[in-house]
Amino acid sequence: MNAERFAFIRYMFLSTRLSMILAAFMFWADAVHAESPIDREGLAFFEASIRPILVERCYQCHSESSDELKGGLRLDTRSGTRAGGDSGPTVVPGDPTKSLLMAAIRHDGLEMPPDARLAEQDIAHFERWIQMGAPDPRDGPDVVDRPKFDLEKARDFWSFQSIVDPELPKVSDGAWPENAIDYFVLSKLEQAGLRPTHEAERLDLLRRVTYDLLGLPPTLEQIDEFLADRQSDAYERLVDRLLASPQYGERWGQHWLDVVRYAETEGFEYDRTIPGVWRYRDYVIQALNEGLAYDDFLREQIAGDEIDANDPKLMAAASFHRLGTVRRNAGNQEVAGSRNEVLTERTDIIGSAVLGMTIGCARCHDHKFDPLSQRDYYSLQAYFAATHEHELALVDKVVYEDWKQNTLKIQKQIDQLSKRLSAQSGEEEKATIAKIRGLESELPAPIPLISSIRNDFENLTPIHVLKRGDFSLPGDRVRPNPPTLLQASLSNHSSADDYNPRTALADWLVDNRNPLTPRVIVNRIWHYHFGQGIVKSPNDFGKNGQTPSHPELLDYLAMRLIESRWELKPLHRLILLSGTYRQASDSADERVAKELDPENQLLWRFNKRRLSAEEIRDSMLAVSGELNFAKGGPSILLPVDEQLKKQLYNPSQWKETVERSEQVRRSIYLIAKRNLRLPFMEVFDQPTLQVSCANREESTHAPQALELLNGSISNELAEKFAARLKREVSGDLDRYIEVAYRLSTGRPPNRDERRLATMFLNQGDEREFALAMFNLNAFLYLR
Amino acid sequence: MLHAFASRNRRKFLSENCCGIGGLAFASIVQQERLRADSRSTLAPKPPHFPGAAKSVIFLFMAGGPSHIETFDPKPLLNELDGQSRPKEFGDAKYQFVQNDAKLLGSKRRFQRCGKSGIEVSDLFPHVSKVIDEIAVLRSCFGDMVVHSAAQYELLSGRVVPGFPSMGSWTIYGLGSESDSLPAYVVMPDPDGALEAGQPMYGNGFLPAAYQPTVFRAGERPVLNLDLPAGISSHERSKTIELIRQLNEATPAAEDDELAARMRSYGLAFRMQTEAPDVLDLSAETEETLQLYGVGVEPTDDYGRRCLMARRLVEHGVRFTVVVSGGGSGATQWDAHKDIEENHLRMAVQTDKPIAGLIADLKRRGLLDSTLVLWGGEFGRSPEAQAGAGRDHHNLGFSMWMAGGGIQGGRVVGATDAIGLRAIEKPYHFRDIHTTILHQLGLDQDLLTFPHLGRNERLTQIHGKVIREIL
Repeated sequence: MNAERFAFIRYMFLSTRLSMILAAFMFWADAVHAESPIDREGLAFFEASIRPILVERCYQCHSESSDELKGGLRLDTRSGTRAGGDSGPTVVPGDPTKSLLMAAIRHDGLEMPPDARLAEQDIAHFERWIQMGAPDPRDGPDVVDRPKFDLEKARDFWSFQSIVDPELPKVSDGAWPENAIDYFVLSKLEQAGLRPTHEAERLDLLRRVTYDLLGLPPTLEQIDEFLADRQSDAYERLVDRLLASPQYGERWGQHWLDVVRYAETEGFEYDRTIPGVWRYRDYVIQALNEGLAYDDFLREQIAGDEIDANDPKLMAAASFHRLGTVRRNAGNQEVAGSRNEVLTERTDIIGSAVLGMTIGCARCHDHKFDPLSQRDYYSLQAYFAATHEHELALVDKVVYEDWKQNTLKIQKQIDQLSKRLSAQSGEEEKATIAKIRGLESELPAPIPLISSIRNDFENLTPIHVLKRGDFSLPGDRVRPNPPTLLQASLSNHSSADDYNPRTALADWLVDNRNPLTPRVIVNRIWHYHFGQGIVKSPNDFGKNGQTPSHPELLDYLAMRLIESRWELKPLHRLILLSGTYRQASDSADERVAKELDPENQLLWRFNKRRLSAEEIRDSMLAVSGELNFAKGGPSILLPVDEQLKKQLYNPSQWKETVERSEQVRRSIYLIAKRNLRLPFMEVFDQPTLQVSCANREESTHAPQALELLNGSISNELAEKFAARLKREVSGDLDRYIEVAYRLSTGRPPNRDERRLATMFLNQGDEREFALAMFNLNAFLYLR
Repeated sequence: MLHAFASRNRRKFLSENCCGIGGLAFASIVQQERLRADSRSTLAPKPPHFPGAAKSVIFLFMAGGPSHIETFDPKPLLNELDGQSRPKEFGDAKYQFVQNDAKLLGSKRRFQRCGKSGIEVSDLFPHVSKVIDEIAVLRSCFGDMVVHSAAQYELLSGRVVPGFPSMGSWTIYGLGSESDSLPAYVVMPDPDGALEAGQPMYGNGFLPAAYQPTVFRAGERPVLNLDLPAGISSHERSKTIELIRQLNEATPAAEDDELAARMRSYGLAFRMQTEAPDVLDLSAETEETLQLYGVGVEPTDDYGRRCLMARRLVEHGVRFTVVVSGGGSGATQWDAHKDIEENHLRMAVQTDKPIAGLIADLKRRGLLDSTLVLWGGEFGRSPEAQAGAGRDHHNLGFSMWMAGGGIQGGRVVGATDAIGLRAIEKPYHFRDIHTTILHQLGLDQDLLTFPHLGRNERLTQIHGKVIREIL
């Protein structure tokens, strides 16, 4: 074992107490060396004219004794006054114009103190004091080095408390509950003077649950089969069939991809493709289909490389750490800054996706709402100190080395030529560009590989608490550690010799005693089933998030998850078989219920929802009979408007997939390119692909109508749909309309619909009729 | 004021919407106007937080970073120091390409005091100099990033990373749309190509898709999906829309608010389809107006057309319009790494007349008071030379300007040091520009928020200042 790695491991096992003593020592040393002696006149001026004002007007919010240190600024020490808070240096000795303090007390932009402006004379004194060099005898650190929060008190907050298996609540209507979930829901409804609505129509329920689990409409055969099945457990068996379908992973995989802001390009200027990262998408789909337990699912993504760096599946899982945006730039490199950006991405996503904590807020200052200190943040980041990009080639080693040598050789020539470009112009420049293009075409074709990560302890990045999150202002160095608040659930780290930092992180995240991880995932699953979570802010279980509408139910589900060894399919099953899920989306009590609970928090009915962007396209493909069910593989690039391609900085990155059969695959297999999203997806609220998305917006606006009426995707597929109907149903108009309705809305038309459709088809175009079907509320919404 | 304007337009919409093709079909939709319920995800006009002078914004985006030293911030000392190293007292700067040993580069531009205000404008802008009394020049702008993509994100969305809503999206989220037949937020890119930060810089980020920009395409048909598919007549299509409406109404639960909103969106879509093409058609403009913008003459034709389009959009209630100058490779942006003379002469002559024409035209039509025009790029350029005659990116101090929308013209605010390296007097960050724009629109940066990942996000990451000196 090399020395650096050994030092790192020893460092990590330093006791907290020792590091605190060290920190205190460093502050003391800092104070001793900080300042040359202050002249007597300056000191007198400070004591007479400055200190009293500070004490009287500023200390309440900006000192060690403040209840909450506002703006991260402390004005009760010299170093704090100079370093400043979140907005930057407060006092620049000798230069009042650069001193934020002057702008603030003059109410120039900032307005301090906020209650009433200082007297003009006092403002003049501050200016003079700064001009004098801001003499200041007050020693002490520039930050308040105590948590702003009382840890014991903070642990009382609901989401940090241990999960307890609750008892089933008592209900009056004992006949309604189908399973345990219903007791929790019914009891709340009864307390509010409400009652659940009736059960959904069978066909509505079939359509709802099929979309919910597969993201596709039920086929004619599936409709017939379900209608014909008159046994009492018909619905139960339907749910089991759907959960076993390979399309389940393609639907639920998309949810997870939203949460981890999956994209296949790095974003920013170059928007470079991350080679082979689609394997991560396939890994997610496969893991869900195979019923991989959620704790293992997380372990493999967070520490797959530490488990086995030669296993393609595990390395694809660990591509998780490659999903954040990466800013690369030409010219002078900010090595430390870029590294810091990458580490920030890798740390923050653990908070949003796994813990449901907005830990990113603690990067620049202690968290404003939650008991997370800046030290906690960087301690979490320290797990990634040794994590670096790594590509696993999926070919023979000799072939790989050969490929690598050839690639590097040509790439080097390209780089050299590119460097010259900045000093060239005219013909000379053109010639160089031509040479570069020539060399690019000589580059060997890409070989199959996985863009993943590995630990490189020799290039370990020392992690420090960074003042204002600025990498050029390092404070104390920290060791990997979970947030102080949640250390009660800390697992034992593995022995020092084979220390695997991210394995330790994953072990802690999925430790049964960690109250957040299970609550967060069961809430996500509930959220996707009902369109709203038990906690309405799935990425934020902190103080600024929403409190659970059914806290006991949340814990009940979390306990069942742990009990079933973190398997997700039993959890789906439990939820889908509940009476709560099977409710209709309308209610006879609607008027009263809407007054008592306008947002349906208590679930007195099911929530209608619009299909997602992917579901709309996939459904049009399915209904028109065009959908290619092929699974996995490199992503598809659909033909797009030439003008749209021009909006890419490098339009040649959009190499359209030529085969028509590939163009009609499910939307999860379309490329997720950060700098060019399909207008169709964008208009129907696909997330930006840049940051974690826990909850898709559902907006309604005219460009959606224009897309569905005039867009190429819907018009082409309407033509196919019309052709399919013509092919499969000939002659009988009545049956034609019936099949069209059953395919696109999952039910037969009612009398009015039949009449209107007949009238239209008697004079109108079949293609226009098919297009109208794609525009119906009954097609786009689930009841 | 703005609220009153909104209701006037609403009434206009209500009275005009009942005629023409499809008018009857959408009579019921019009009646449901009052049902615009969920203002979070619709473009219904919303009152501002307080009365604001501006109703619309036009951002003249000089992409690639125009040099302050060659445009609005004369530096005689730089000419004296030409070829020398930067004197130590000016401090350090980090550049994307040039190193600290680079030599200072004097400017060949000549400056003249213009207008009544006597503001110094370089000879790159003979036309803009004539409207300088409408313009407030900010000589002390600064940003945090020295590379294009990140700086463009910061300029447009207040963050140095992608994924956050642009100022245009925040504006229409705050105020909704004044127009029922046009998109509320329009971006007109340069046909020469894209910019480094790409589409995400203009986007709605985590705001609902209702607040996304409409990016105009080059050529005759700028709005995607506004045209009927080949072979379908407007008459045929109106029958299809009528079928959709009837079938929706024949379905149980048709009285639902959201579904009603959806049906209304079809009405609006149809209006856009029938009315927008007229607004987008420049042929109704007089010869005199076309000349004012330099339309029909090279090299001003393209930018002139887009500026004229911007005026037509503003007239029809479009809230936020971005007119980009520069796209494709650095040479076809203001990104003058190699030859500041060649690049800026070329870029300026394409835009000078159109911009001056736009200001004059807005003014004479009485639109300038309610239209805030912002000019500038993602950064300025280095006092040091790159590759002999070019300048590198530079974010520590550069110029932007504003006009109209309650801005007091003929003023100069702030200053850079004697070589144009650093904003030293009244430095204003992009966040202050953003705050000022919102303020002029009657929006408060702290009230215009949207919950995202546990935070109530706003346009400005750190609290911005209103630039009071120009109000």
